[in-house]
Amino acid sequence: MIWLTWRQFRTQTFAILALLTAAAIYALITGTQLRHSYTADLATCQAQNTCFGLLNGLQEDYNGPLQLAEMLVIAAPGLIGIFWGAPLIAGELERGTHYLSWNQSVTRTRWLAVKLTGVALASIVTAGLLSLLLTWWASPLDTISGNRFGTQAFNARGIAPLGYAAFAFALGVTLGLLIRRTLPAMAVTLAVFIAVQVLMTVAVRPNLLPATTTAVPINQATMSQAMRFDRSVAVTGPVTIDLPAPPGSWIQSETPALTSAGRPLQTGEILSCWNQAFGQAGASGKAGSPGFGPLGACLAPQNLHVDVTYQPANSYWPLQWSETALYVVLAALLAAVCFQRVRRLRS
Amino acid sequence: MTAILQAHALGMQYGRRPALTDCTLNIPPGHVVGLVGPNGAGKSTLLKLACGLLNPTSGSISVLGNTPGSGPGQLARVGFVAQDAPVYTNLSIADHLRLGARLNPRWDRGFAERRIAQLDLDPKQKAGKLSGGQRAQLALTVAAGKRPELLILDEPVAGLDPLARREFLKNLTKSAAENGTSVILSSHLISDLERVCDYLIVLVSSRVRLAGKVDQLIAAHHRIVCTLRDPDALPTGLEVISAEHTDRHSTFVVRTDTPLPAEDWAAQPLSMEDLVLTYIGTADPGLRPATQGSQTALDSEAGR
Repeated sequence: MIWLTWRQFRTQTFAILALLTAAAIYALITGTQLRHSYTADLATCQAQNTCFGLLNGLQEDYNGPLQLAEMLVIAAPGLIGIFWGAPLIAGELERGTHYLSWNQSVTRTRWLAVKLTGVALASIVTAGLLSLLLTWWASPLDTISGNRFGTQAFNARGIAPLGYAAFAFALGVTLGLLIRRTLPAMAVTLAVFIAVQVLMTVAVRPNLLPATTTAVPINQATMSQAMRFDRSVAVTGPVTIDLPAPPGSWIQSETPALTSAGRPLQTGEILSCWNQAFGQAGASGKAGSPGFGPLGACLAPQNLHVDVTYQPANSYWPLQWSETALYVVLAALLAAVCFQRVRRLRS
Repeated sequence: MTAILQAHALGMQYGRRPALTDCTLNIPPGHVVGLVGPNGAGKSTLLKLACGLLNPTSGSISVLGNTPGSGPGQLARVGFVAQDAPVYTNLSIADHLRLGARLNPRWDRGFAERRIAQLDLDPKQKAGKLSGGQRAQLALTVAAGKRPELLILDEPVAGLDPLARREFLKNLTKSAAENGTSVILSSHLISDLERVCDYLIVLVSSRVRLAGKVDQLIAAHHRIVCTLRDPDALPTGLEVISAEHTDRHSTFVVRTDTPLPAEDWAAQPLSMEDLVLTYIGTADPGLRPATQGSQTALDSEAGR
């Protein structure tokens, strides 16, 4: 049975090996260049204290390849589900070849077990190698951006793609078995996989682990690193400030500015400090405005704060593991459905 | 020796549509069994039940004494070639033989390779490039190479031209005889089966109409032509299978397990083809199911 699985999957294996080799060569060459520039830039900028601009420049130079590589790693599990998962059984049912294989001296359960395990391993290894390559390649860029929780960054690094691949493959196989026709099964696999990915990213991941909530005080130090400051035009509106969270963390929500009693701060209460810092100018400020520091200093005595809810940087791997585990459990459930169906299938 | 196939009140339904109804059979071993009936009569369903591709919705079936498809051991004892002889189009002939070798404990490599050579097939050729007849031969080789005790073939010659049909069936009976394999094969053409079968099952609209050894069936059936008369006027002991009347004559096909009495009629034996056609013809609604001897057909015939 292992031989038959290999024989049927041989061409795909060679194709994917060629692709992985090409990707690895490209990643090794450009990745080495990237590291070279990174250490050179770092040495220069630390001497001249110009790191922000210089490293941002490096990041911009490599942004194109990075986006492309992330797209590839994110698309890979979907493609695996479509091209390896959906035809695995649907193809046999469609051409009637299951009549041939199911009438050899091998039970259907064993037939399915070997096929499922073999190609699932190939799927997981493929996604794993792609993710490994990208995680290594992009690590200097990830250090610069400090944004490991971004959707693209999280979905295309670490071990999460392994879970996606296992799930997408199992989904394809199951839908192929239920729909019994390859092309519709491929289409439905893609649609369901995208829906699950979106749902997982948007609705499930933020709730997988308990978040931390901290009150960040508004003072000169925090305000000088603020990304944004919005006040309403009228005196009664709220004030919103994007205060810096702990480095490398994933901010999930921020309250408007609150008084020490926890009541939302009204624009009227900061107008004197505002006018002092900005004169009568507009209703918001951007990062790096020279007025942010003085504004913070002026507001500090009012004991104001913002409640920030976030996942700390060290939640990254627990989150990756939990999400991967969730996908693997889904894949296992789908596999169980497959075994159930194959045993009872009316052909 | 255990029976090839024993079925008791076997039934199969797809949704609400019956594919096989109340099928009771007991086929003794060592036969080449012909399963014949019009398209959609339930032939494929019966064969798939026999190799375990389907589970019956009612009744029971055992093949070579066991539940069909109940494990690797049972699978090894029964070979099956589905309708249209599906093969893996992107695998070569040699690959198919390797598939057989890897997946069957009793695989007879010498037999399979000899057979491919006899058929003048190139082992390196992809199965997708074979003609219908060659594909059927390849599928048969894989099924027979595992040395089953029973070989089940669903419409094996449907896609073949007349010459290839004859060749295929000759090959089949030869290898079955050499290996002592029992064979069940289906066809909607009686002429295919006439030459090779010594046991016959006629299946019409999901029911078994007739089953038995061919020589016994031929010996038990007679066509009699006599002056116009009611079927009831025939001597008892004759089961009337069909009746046709013209202005002056009646033609009956009758079944009797004792020698036909000599009376005022002309009696002829039936060919296998005539026999089958008679039973298929009587399956029309309103006519009686012949094997069960109900009176409805006689009544309606008498009422004319």
